[in-house]
Amino acid sequence: MKCNRFQTAFCRRDLLRTAACGFGQIGLAALANQSQASPIPASEGFQQLSHTVGGAKRVIFLFMWGGPSHVDTFDYKPLLKDFHGRTATAEALRGRQPPGGTILGSPFKFKQHGEGGIWISELFPHLAKHADQMCVLRSLHTDGSAHGEALLTLHTGKSNLVRPSVGAWVSYGLGAESQNLPAFITISPPRGHGGVQNYGSGFLPAAHQATAIGAAEIPVANAKISNLSNPVLNQSTQRSQLELIQSLNRSHLRTASVDPGIEGLISSYELAFRMQSEVPQIMGLDGETKETLELYGIGTVPTDNFGRQCLLARKFAEQGVRYIQVSTDYTWDHHTKNNELLPKECARVDQPITALLTDLDRRGMLEDTLVIWGSEFGRTPTAENQDGRNHHPAAFSMWMAGGGVKGGYTYGATDDLGFQPVDKPMHMHDFHATLLHGLGLDHKRLTYRHAGRDFRLTDIFGNPATEIFS
Amino acid sequence: MRLQNYSSRSAPHWSVIRFLIPCAASYWFALQCVGSVAAVTAKPSAPIPQDAGVSANGEVFFEENIRPIFVQRCQSCHSEKSGKHEGNLLIDSQAALLKGGDQGPAVVPGDVEHSLLIRAVRHTDPNLMMPPTERLNDESIALLESWIRMGAPFPETSSQPTVVNPSDPVEGKSHWAYQPLSIVAPPQPQNSAWSRSEIDRFVLAKLESRNLAPVSDASGKDLVRRLTFQLVGLPPTPEQLLKFDSLPQALATEQLVDELLASPQFGQRWGRHWLDLARYADSNGLDENFLFREAWRYRNWVIDATNADMPYDRFLLEQLAGDLLAYETIEQRDRQRIAAGFLEIGPKVLLGVDPNRQRMDVADEQLETIGRTVLAQTIGCARCHNHKFDAIPTADYYALAGIFTSTTVMEQRFMLNEQRVMERLVGLGENGEQIDDDYESFYRQVNSLRQHVEKAKAALELLKSGTEEAIAAKLASDSDGFCDASRDAAVTREMRVAAQEAYLNEQTKKLANPPGIPPRAMIPRDAESVVDEHIRLAGKFDDRGELVPRGFLQVLSDTPAAPLPTNQSGRIELSQWLTDSSGRSGALTARVFANRIWHHMFGRGLVRTVDNFGRTGETPSHPELLDHLASELIRNGWSMKSLIRQIAVSRTFGLSSSFDSANHDVDPENILLWRGNRRRLDPESLRDAMLTSAGTLDLQPVNSTVDYLGDQATAVGNNAVRRRTDFNFRSVYLPVIRNDLPELFDAFDFANPQLTTGARPRTTVPTQGLFMLNDALVMKAAEDTARRVLAENADQPLDVQVARMFELVINQPATPEEAALVATWIQSTETQSGSSPDPNARQKAFQLACHALFASSRFQYLE
Repeated sequence: MKCNRFQTAFCRRDLLRTAACGFGQIGLAALANQSQASPIPASEGFQQLSHTVGGAKRVIFLFMWGGPSHVDTFDYKPLLKDFHGRTATAEALRGRQPPGGTILGSPFKFKQHGEGGIWISELFPHLAKHADQMCVLRSLHTDGSAHGEALLTLHTGKSNLVRPSVGAWVSYGLGAESQNLPAFITISPPRGHGGVQNYGSGFLPAAHQATAIGAAEIPVANAKISNLSNPVLNQSTQRSQLELIQSLNRSHLRTASVDPGIEGLISSYELAFRMQSEVPQIMGLDGETKETLELYGIGTVPTDNFGRQCLLARKFAEQGVRYIQVSTDYTWDHHTKNNELLPKECARVDQPITALLTDLDRRGMLEDTLVIWGSEFGRTPTAENQDGRNHHPAAFSMWMAGGGVKGGYTYGATDDLGFQPVDKPMHMHDFHATLLHGLGLDHKRLTYRHAGRDFRLTDIFGNPATEIFS
Repeated sequence: MRLQNYSSRSAPHWSVIRFLIPCAASYWFALQCVGSVAAVTAKPSAPIPQDAGVSANGEVFFEENIRPIFVQRCQSCHSEKSGKHEGNLLIDSQAALLKGGDQGPAVVPGDVEHSLLIRAVRHTDPNLMMPPTERLNDESIALLESWIRMGAPFPETSSQPTVVNPSDPVEGKSHWAYQPLSIVAPPQPQNSAWSRSEIDRFVLAKLESRNLAPVSDASGKDLVRRLTFQLVGLPPTPEQLLKFDSLPQALATEQLVDELLASPQFGQRWGRHWLDLARYADSNGLDENFLFREAWRYRNWVIDATNADMPYDRFLLEQLAGDLLAYETIEQRDRQRIAAGFLEIGPKVLLGVDPNRQRMDVADEQLETIGRTVLAQTIGCARCHNHKFDAIPTADYYALAGIFTSTTVMEQRFMLNEQRVMERLVGLGENGEQIDDDYESFYRQVNSLRQHVEKAKAALELLKSGTEEAIAAKLASDSDGFCDASRDAAVTREMRVAAQEAYLNEQTKKLANPPGIPPRAMIPRDAESVVDEHIRLAGKFDDRGELVPRGFLQVLSDTPAAPLPTNQSGRIELSQWLTDSSGRSGALTARVFANRIWHHMFGRGLVRTVDNFGRTGETPSHPELLDHLASELIRNGWSMKSLIRQIAVSRTFGLSSSFDSANHDVDPENILLWRGNRRRLDPESLRDAMLTSAGTLDLQPVNSTVDYLGDQATAVGNNAVRRRTDFNFRSVYLPVIRNDLPELFDAFDFANPQLTTGARPRTTVPTQGLFMLNDALVMKAAEDTARRVLAENADQPLDVQVARMFELVINQPATPEEAALVATWIQSTETQSGSSPDPNARQKAFQLACHALFASSRFQYLE
């Protein structure tokens, strides 16, 4: 039951430990590269190692921290307006259990867009033009009514135990396409609600943890990767110093005869030095045209920050990073003034996200980049504090684009008021299984032996929604 | 036990064994039957007798080294996986290789020169060159040769143990780890002169059985450095080096070991090993990262108990049940209670969780921690179903869980303006509980006090300037804020005002002088009602099955345990059972702990899966030695120090790490201990050693290093006050904030503080390189060290200064080449530094060189 070729051949902790480690040599994909002077093309390694046929090679996950209201964005509920101000009784909901409270109708206009006729509210005017590239998932539900629990469930599949994050699993499963960059990068991650654990490696080898750039509350223009540059030394001094280090290391290695540890140390310094020179170039925007910067809304209010984050995501994607998460600050938690605050938040991200889709598409990367937009939960169809909405883990929406998903497609549905999924409910485990499926990984076969048993991202659950892929 | 029958037959054909026992090649299954293994894994023509350790690890060797070559370079033409059978050769199993292809068998186990596979990959025979396109590199060919010499072990991928019912505790008793300790007299190796101790005799006899000989002893300097880092986590002092040189090595070793074991730095090192298991942290982690302001008391208790060499059975008892134990003094009571904080410091989901679920989750976390730490058993697997591999039925899980759900570690407390369910805190000292109550009640009432003061102010204003009618009206509607005397309309207004002023002053003062945090600690207690637990179906907290009385693991109990007391949780009895040296449980506890000590001394346990002695774990490479060590541990009253001493003074521990290609061919992983393992420094030693070179390390114990943090160790937002790392204390005292570890710890494989970690991962990744190249800690230590070298050797020539730097950083002289290399580099860097002579040029060059030396493998590795 647990034995399959991949496990025995590849999922060996010791292999990972002893391999002289460049980022590119980690994970299942490592095998393709190991002990080869020149790595075989990553795409070949990928084809060889994927479990199923998946269209995507990488993921960009756009995380809206706080939980945007689904009924105001992608889950159109005309009846909400009709019931506005009414008490959400069990009767009104035909027996389904509502959380109580007064129905809050959405003041935002919805329209069907594209040939697929996806419903999108007026809060995403730019994105709506890409409706035929989007697959909206309207039947998500999760565990945990508090942010911390829900963030951990979204990012690790589990809130009450420490587990590896989705990106770490992907890094472990597919390795990095780039020799000089990690497989998993998180741009502006949240520090609270689980913090590092949301992009940690849990019991997977530490190399699968994300490299973090900045933090949610820091404008990404000022964000840094820790220790990526020397605060004092110039490059030529450092190069000369590195040569001294490596001479000492080689001298040590000669007396040791054979030692994979020292060899690994030597190559890790070379990689570190290469990262040091290459990553800042990727993080800088110098090579980008004015048109591109404008496309992303960089330099204009209110899109500047998220625009930079999205552009950075595209650049990392281009360099072969497998899993890139982009997070907003903790700005979507609209317990009050939902109707006033939600449009502002949408305006910050709408143009940048749209630019990302456009940019990936015109570079031919959208077909193998799975772009996901989502949050830890949705918000109640009922009012809190008169004009706000409370947390709603029972039903919410996400969308995917690119990476082989069907465009102009809507998956699942909630009831008439958006309380509960009624068609094809998609639990967070199902979402994770679907995400892995999109990358060609079978969530049941991507396992890691820890504490005497094989663990997987989806525990013992999860069904991938294969129908959303074309 | 069919295996044993076959073991007596001479050289059965391999495929016959496979036919009859489809899983015989599964190494971990084969090794369940210790003693019968040799014949099972012996191959027909293997010249070298196989034994448990190497056969097990031979198959690990295959997975790590050989299968990747096959998959990458051979499979595309010779595998069912690719569907290509070129030359009718398949490489999918040992049988297929033995059968071979058109040209005959591809592999002759044990015989490199007659194995066609080797001839083919060497590309020396123009008619047989594989892979045809590009020759394998020399290293891969050498690995293939070693593998054939080992008998070409090849695990079956689909094998499963033929245990009928893995969770059956009766059948499970035959598992090797659950046996009583076997008393085996140390063997008499042929070389009777080499051994210095019983440990050496076990090791040497095994080496001799494989025709291997240990390499030479480590040099004195290497051994001193190894000993001081392993025992106290610090580089040797000049005095220690001098003294060691002046004595014969065996005597010098004994004296140094005794000195180190007695030093207070021992507990700072070995206590940390325990803290890895105890998932020690200064914050909760998980969903809400609240600060564990008092966890440091438990940390320091561990360090103190380790220094005092508290017997391991007592050490466990205090941590599992310290709050329930008798005491003679308040200090003793508090120490024991603090020890029990072990149960409280796990990560917990704090918000939005059903209290019943939280209770089961907390018990689960405790049980999993204790199970893995003490017994190396994955008890947590049996929460939802009978254990799939080990003899732990769900009933046993809930029998143990009842002990912990009958224990309370949470309480309602007022924090961050709310009443919350938090870790339980108890005041320390004579009146500690009362003082803590006062403190808590102040904060429970502080908001209403604040409102009350505002009202008292308003009341005073009214009394000063209001009309009698207004005052009376106010008193009638809301008299809060007025003191008794000021309400009294019978006295003069002045008197009323004066009384109210005095009252307001008093209340304002109370508000302005909140009580300080009293001395208190994280301390559990038994629950109000002690209960047995129901089995929870599929692990769901609200889905109850059969009720099971509290108790222990059946597989480790030969007689049914006496019922646990109905008025206590049973934690005392659990601890006594765990360390009952007359039973299977105590034997396992002793084996696990002895193996942990071995792991820390050698970098690898005799059982490499130090946290898993179950069926999915590995088996011991030296089973008799492991039992010997476990018996010695018990015989010496569970003294950790005496077992460490026995290992540290052994000749085996003092072997050099030099390479020997003949030994390496047979045992490339050094499973049989023919040499010392070269090891990388852990992050604590790395930092402490740099600060020692710099002369800035403070060895004194410290209390809290997180007291400046707010109640949330990390929070949403900008975290204006974050954990600090700019201390000069030893690294064991650095803040361990879950999800916000010091960069040093993050980069260098510190234990994940949310999980029991018996063996830290060992990775070599570029982030470590970036840290060593750029982190302020390293640069500052290099600067301080350089300054120290130059100040202490100001009038000396460059080569003396360089020699001194090497001694300070790597604790031994440089090789002449390395000394010359560094001296030349310093000179050239000095002269490059500018056109005008820079008075600081030498300092600058020296600190760069010193920084390089810190970054070098000489410093980061122990020979």
